[in-house]
Amino acid sequence: MGQGSVGGYGALPQRYFVMDLLSQIIFQAVNGFVWGLIIALIALGLTLVFGLIEVINVSHGALYMLGAVLGWYMERLFGNFWLALAFAPLMVGIIGLGIERAVLRPIEGKPAMTIIATFGLMLIFHQSVLATFGGAPQRMREPIQFGFSIMGFGYPGYRLIVAAFSAATMVGLWAFLYKTKFGLWMRAVRQDREMALAMGVPLNGVYMLTFGLGAFLAALGGVLAAPIVTVEFKMGLDILIIAFMVVIIGGLGSLLGSVVAAILIGELEGIASVFINPTNARIFSLVFMIIVLLLRPHGLFGRKA
Amino acid sequence: MASLAGKPEDRMKLWKGERLFQIGFAVLVAVLVLAPPFLRSYHKRLLTEILIWGLFALAFDIIYGYTGMLSFGQALFFGVGAYGMAIPILRWDLNLWVALLFAVIASIAFAWPIGYFAVKVSGAYFVIITIIFSLIFFFIALDWRWLTGGDNGLTLTAPSIPLGNWKLSLVDPLTNYYFVLALVLACYLITRRIVASPLGKAFQAIRENEDRARVIGYKVERFKLISYIISGAISGLSGALYAATSRYANVDFLHWTVSGDAVVWTLVGGAGTLIGPMIGSGLLIVFEDYVSSWFKNYPIIVGILVIGVVITAPQGIVGLLRERFGRKER
Repeated sequence: MGQGSVGGYGALPQRYFVMDLLSQIIFQAVNGFVWGLIIALIALGLTLVFGLIEVINVSHGALYMLGAVLGWYMERLFGNFWLALAFAPLMVGIIGLGIERAVLRPIEGKPAMTIIATFGLMLIFHQSVLATFGGAPQRMREPIQFGFSIMGFGYPGYRLIVAAFSAATMVGLWAFLYKTKFGLWMRAVRQDREMALAMGVPLNGVYMLTFGLGAFLAALGGVLAAPIVTVEFKMGLDILIIAFMVVIIGGLGSLLGSVVAAILIGELEGIASVFINPTNARIFSLVFMIIVLLLRPHGLFGRKA
Repeated sequence: MASLAGKPEDRMKLWKGERLFQIGFAVLVAVLVLAPPFLRSYHKRLLTEILIWGLFALAFDIIYGYTGMLSFGQALFFGVGAYGMAIPILRWDLNLWVALLFAVIASIAFAWPIGYFAVKVSGAYFVIITIIFSLIFFFIALDWRWLTGGDNGLTLTAPSIPLGNWKLSLVDPLTNYYFVLALVLACYLITRRIVASPLGKAFQAIRENEDRARVIGYKVERFKLISYIISGAISGLSGALYAATSRYANVDFLHWTVSGDAVVWTLVGGAGTLIGPMIGSGLLIVFEDYVSSWFKNYPIIVGILVIGVVITAPQGIVGLLRERFGRKER
């Protein structure tokens, strides 16, 4: 089985190989930042869903994986990565809408049941992908082949575009939450469910859209990460844990906290991986997370609920 | 029992339900004791595995079904139990009883301090913290190859059981089966006694309403910890039995997704019923055994089943039977 081994993110192709320590540290710092931004997208989905619907979505990692796998298929089909990036997250988002309506709504307000149900969803997604896509890890070609030279070492241009794209998506999400009617509804529901309902906010619609949006963000992260990591059915297990770490450290339900915590974790694990093996780096961040959970259950940046 | 105070016809119903349960249980035990000599050795193994995983699900039922704490981290203690069995036998050449004892003590030694921290948080945070604890030790076990064998795990030869003047060999499937059956049955009877005791009632009070239990004067954290340790010890025992039966211990045992199996079996069988989780694991393992020969992605069906149960009958099979025959405890 070998579940959940820790991979160093973005083991680079040979042509980017760097030698001396300082370059390695700088490289990992840049890489940690890029990776942190992808993680932030995924964690934002998780924390959005928790903050609003109060569902701990155990299948969030599987939705990320689903995005990557659908992206892989679409890239094959269209021969164009950007089309895959446009459509795969949308499809997963629509699946998310369906999940909220069919699975989560009947058990609304029963936290233990929702967690178990999303665990069931995770099983379904894992095995469906295993049945169709197969168990062997697949690589996806980087859509942009040129690399930048930063301070004496080569860096793949695609990753910088990923960083920019992730940041733009977050700005878009912010605009959606603060400048549109739906965003206003979502924030209203988060503040006071009953009052929002009384004021005529369509609660069911908001829940559905929130979960769809969460699934969309997970899948978007999946497609973006697909050319950097290997695509396989178990790839979401590890991401789920990192996303948990981010939302706990950033404060469950806090969006800005999640972004900051994601970059923090990306940097810490990246730079630590220069000195210690990735498994040990992960153990340390997990222990750190438990300390945060016990001492500051609302996160380093979260306010008390 | 509170429901004794009901109307006379309710009392009749309760009595009838209790009687039915006892008859059913006696038949089940009789079948489990008498049938195996007539089974093929493959089915003896299968039945042994069902009992072991049933015990693991029972351990989960104590913490979730009775105390209301959803833990996805019980696999940690299952793994500790498995290694607690494998290491003394392989490295120190200890006999089976001592190794078994060591395994249970080791899982308590893990469950106590981990539980001490874990019960300080509740709800969603508890779920996450149990997953994190289980992952920390999963990664440590993965890293410490000298102790755990890493990905490859440890392979052990099942030692014989010294029993007075005899030595029983666990290599024989039938001996192995009765060995497991005796321990599982003992555990079941002990836990049934525990959940009916004042301690068990305190667990259930916490499950029903944590704040109210606290106001009444129960030291909620302490009872949660006790529940956590009992569950951890039984999980450890099931892991030790699994290692002795399958003759290997693997790091994957510690992974939190293994706990998911116990969650599924408990829910399908009926949480908070003790016998339900064992029935649930029996049904699903038999199901898996039949289906996996022609459909290897059977977890899809398991996933659909779980969602179906959660939505339509969260009380599970035994819970439904209880409603039907009026043995109301929940």
